[in-house]
Amino acid sequence: MHALDGITVDFERARFTAVMGPSGSGKSTLMHCMAGLDRPTSGQVFVGDEEVATLDDAGLTRLRRDRIGFVFQSFNLVPTLTAEENITLPASLAGRRVDQQWFDYLVDQLAIGDRLSHRPTELSGGQQQRVACARALIGRPDLIFADEPTGNLDSNASGEMLDFLRRSVDEFGQTIAMVTHDPRGAAHADRVLFLNDGKVVGELQSPTADAVLEQMKQLGS
Amino acid sequence: MWKATIKGLLAHKLRLALTALAIVLGVMFVTGTLVLTDTLHNTFTTLFDNIYQKIDFVVREKAAFSESAGTAARRPIAESVAATVRAVPGVQYAEGTVSGYAQFVARDGSAISTGGAPTLGVSIDPQPQLSSLQVVHGARPTTSDQVDMDQSTAQKYHFAVGDQVRVLLAGPPRTFTIAGIVRFGTAGNLAGATIAAFDLPTAQHLFDEVGHYDAIDVLARPGVDTAALHRAIARVLPPGAEVVTGQTVADESTSAINQALSFFSTALLVFAFISLFVGGFTIFNTFSIIVGQRTRELALLRILGASRRQVFRAVLGEAIIVGLMASLVGLGLGVAAAVGLVALLKGFGITLPSGALVFQARTVVAALVVGVGVTVVSAVSPARRAVRIAPVEALVDRGAAEGESSRRRITVGATLFALGAVVLALGLTRPAIGLVGIGAVALFIGVGILSPLVARPMSGFIGAPLANALGVAGKLGRENSMRSPRRTAQTAAALMVGLALVSTIAVFGASLSRSATVSVDEAINADYIVTATSSAGTGEFSRAVAGAVGAVPGVRAVSTVYTGNFEVRGSLATLTAVDSARLSETVILRMASGVGAPALSAGDLLVDTTTARSDHLAVGSVVPVTFAQTGHGTMRVGGVYQPNALLGSYVVSDGFFVSHFADPLPVAVLVRTTSGPNAAGKAAVLAAVHDYPSVKVQTQAEFKQSQEKQVNTLLGLVYVLLALAVVVALIGIVNTLMLSVFERTHEIGLLRAVGMRRRQVRAMIRSEAVILSVFGAVIGVVVGTGLGVSFAASLSQQGISRIVVPIPSLVLFLVISALLGLGAATWPARRAARLDLLAAIASE
Repeated sequence: MHALDGITVDFERARFTAVMGPSGSGKSTLMHCMAGLDRPTSGQVFVGDEEVATLDDAGLTRLRRDRIGFVFQSFNLVPTLTAEENITLPASLAGRRVDQQWFDYLVDQLAIGDRLSHRPTELSGGQQQRVACARALIGRPDLIFADEPTGNLDSNASGEMLDFLRRSVDEFGQTIAMVTHDPRGAAHADRVLFLNDGKVVGELQSPTADAVLEQMKQLGS
Repeated sequence: MWKATIKGLLAHKLRLALTALAIVLGVMFVTGTLVLTDTLHNTFTTLFDNIYQKIDFVVREKAAFSESAGTAARRPIAESVAATVRAVPGVQYAEGTVSGYAQFVARDGSAISTGGAPTLGVSIDPQPQLSSLQVVHGARPTTSDQVDMDQSTAQKYHFAVGDQVRVLLAGPPRTFTIAGIVRFGTAGNLAGATIAAFDLPTAQHLFDEVGHYDAIDVLARPGVDTAALHRAIARVLPPGAEVVTGQTVADESTSAINQALSFFSTALLVFAFISLFVGGFTIFNTFSIIVGQRTRELALLRILGASRRQVFRAVLGEAIIVGLMASLVGLGLGVAAAVGLVALLKGFGITLPSGALVFQARTVVAALVVGVGVTVVSAVSPARRAVRIAPVEALVDRGAAEGESSRRRITVGATLFALGAVVLALGLTRPAIGLVGIGAVALFIGVGILSPLVARPMSGFIGAPLANALGVAGKLGRENSMRSPRRTAQTAAALMVGLALVSTIAVFGASLSRSATVSVDEAINADYIVTATSSAGTGEFSRAVAGAVGAVPGVRAVSTVYTGNFEVRGSLATLTAVDSARLSETVILRMASGVGAPALSAGDLLVDTTTARSDHLAVGSVVPVTFAQTGHGTMRVGGVYQPNALLGSYVVSDGFFVSHFADPLPVAVLVRTTSGPNAAGKAAVLAAVHDYPSVKVQTQAEFKQSQEKQVNTLLGLVYVLLALAVVVALIGIVNTLMLSVFERTHEIGLLRAVGMRRRQVRAMIRSEAVILSVFGAVIGVVVGTGLGVSFAASLSQQGISRIVVPIPSLVLFLVISALLGLGAATWPARRAARLDLLAAIASE
């Protein structure tokens, strides 16, 4: 039994791709392999023209640090650091200066300017996820992995989050791969991939929520 | 990354404080010891420098052997040499000095004894600028019935100028009039010693040195070339005499004190390092748990681009900060402790010359290196475990990984254990204390690594009665201690080390105690034993005591026992003398070969079988010997006896001893009566020594008891010093329990939600603590018993003839450990019971 079974998937640059599928369909494994968190037993993974599967630990660390941004379902902010420190954490880990203009812009776009000195516990879920979003974007990564980013948010906050992700693709050409269970979330993407039993079982271009739901029903039966 | 480390630390101040406490105590101990001994060292150096500052030269006999001041033995120098020295041009003044045994008697008739410091009688020089003693009240003694008393004794026992005071001497006691009160340099007395100062002729008479001096103090005329004078004096001296500068004598005195001080500081540092070692276990455990709890956070940092090295540095950085802060606090507390100890010494009547506390840069360096070093070394293994955390662990709940396989654990643990045992055995047979220490450390770490293997079954076993008695709370406590054997074992490890050391000492002490009493039975058949009341039976008393006791009706035999240093075959040894004529009536000397009493009467040397074997001696061997008084010579070995703990390795007759030592004082008088020990007989002997309040009379049974008591007093002291290590171990248990309560907030909340009462929560945490402590204690007691037996066995040649395992004491240790565990659980249990139910369930 393989979590991913001989599939070939590509995520196009400056596009918003959603990955859907029931639990155990292999979507998490796919994401982990793409992000250099896990290694495929066979096959190749490329980010740009860099082959991920052959990188050693230091190489993977560099890859994650410099080329990939993460947004998680459970926010995963460092509880002891303020919002601002959380956002700049990847840069300080890399020993790089933060692009202050870019920082200001993101903070402004995400409307978290007045929350910067707060700890994660003092922020609402939506605010925490926006901080996480800024953290993912601050290094201008080649690719952002969003792992059910709206899973822990109410519908209002979810909507704002998805709108923002959509805009980051449209306005500054960000590449996003998002795992989701939510057909409305998937509708924000340019393309939806459906996975089951480690295989790609369907694909939708420019999806609507209804189309996604329809596809899910078909796959479910 | 540093920001994250520091913020993380600040967020857990309590955890930080508890972790640091273990190191604080150890560093405090190290600092206190160093500051105290440095201060004492400085005090004495200054004191002796001041005393000998005024004296330009000292003329004396060369030491017959052993140049170190503590044991250097010199003959007295002839009075006539003083006249010769005075005649040297450039000498302004030269006068002899003598000293000996003189002990004051308090108003209530008891002898004034010191805590082991000498009771000195000295001559006081009529020339004030030459004397080390300064008169603070009254005047110098000028007649044969006057004495000056040291200020501390005068104050403590309420004597003043003009009072009468009895003084115990080598000969019969005498009463003197106090002519003056003196002090030693700037101090009330010399490190607790009492001083009775007499004029020179009286002192010579009292100390049996008529016609002789111990040494001659010389003052040069102002402006004289001292180097030339030094040579000029040396030229006129008779063979065997020497002239040295006052500074040389000051340095010798200082170095003698320093030897004693360095022994003292080494002993204390050993205990300081034991605490730090135990603290190291605690640190290791805490960091292991912290890394476990922060797995998600560390994995997240790895996802966000932290390299392995950055994670390693973050954990180690935390250790460095904790170690640094703990060391600084420990440093401060150590200085305070040193101040307290100096005050304590004063309380014991040891007045030190006034001197500022000495705080050397070395102390700071030692404290920081040791404190930070122990913390960092202990955190290396947890930090390496942190490095192995895979980034993906931030996203998936894998549950706590149990680390390396048990096979690797067995290999590493058993190897360390075996290696430690071998090094330890090597250290014991050498003997080399350093090897013993390294071996013990390796052994303990080995046991620590192996103990998780038995933690689960043992916790289950220990916890079974608790589960029965306390119902579900006990059962849960038991389950908790069983579910993470590694944590249980790691937490218990610190206590294990503490208990192992305590048990080692218990076994060793019991063996020592039993051997001491058995050796009394095997060595002495006297009915009564007369010894000095002061200190540990090493005190000396008047030679006249034997005569007084001998005159008691019904006394059949009296033997005066002396001991002294001599040189045999080129090395320093202790010589014991007993009465040869009535040998068999007071002392049991089982001869392996040769004869006992006749050989002694003939002036031969007896050696024990151990010495005979190691030095290849047999009856008829002739050995070179050196005595301070009589110089080099040879002695014939007249007999070889079975080891006798009280007599030591070399025995001669009392007659021989007295003729080869200057003014010797007895250490014991052995008395055999016709009727055997009984109350009336003892009363008669006591009455005979009424004039000598510095001695006590004991039956053999009482003597054995006092020997046992001495051993027990020493053990008590060692236990107190080891208690610190146990305290550190308990802090570790408190810390672990707090961390587990924190970690299980959610779970405890659930238990409360389904109806567990607060009392039950407390009982659950307490059960866990008791299981932890007893687990550590059991392993510790087992390991310690093994160590104690090996220590005792390795000293069988040195008089430990019996090996005793004091089961009741060991069981008591287990009970105490359980109670201490209960105590350690108090705070964590209360905290767990007080958890806000809703918040606990919500937390995740």
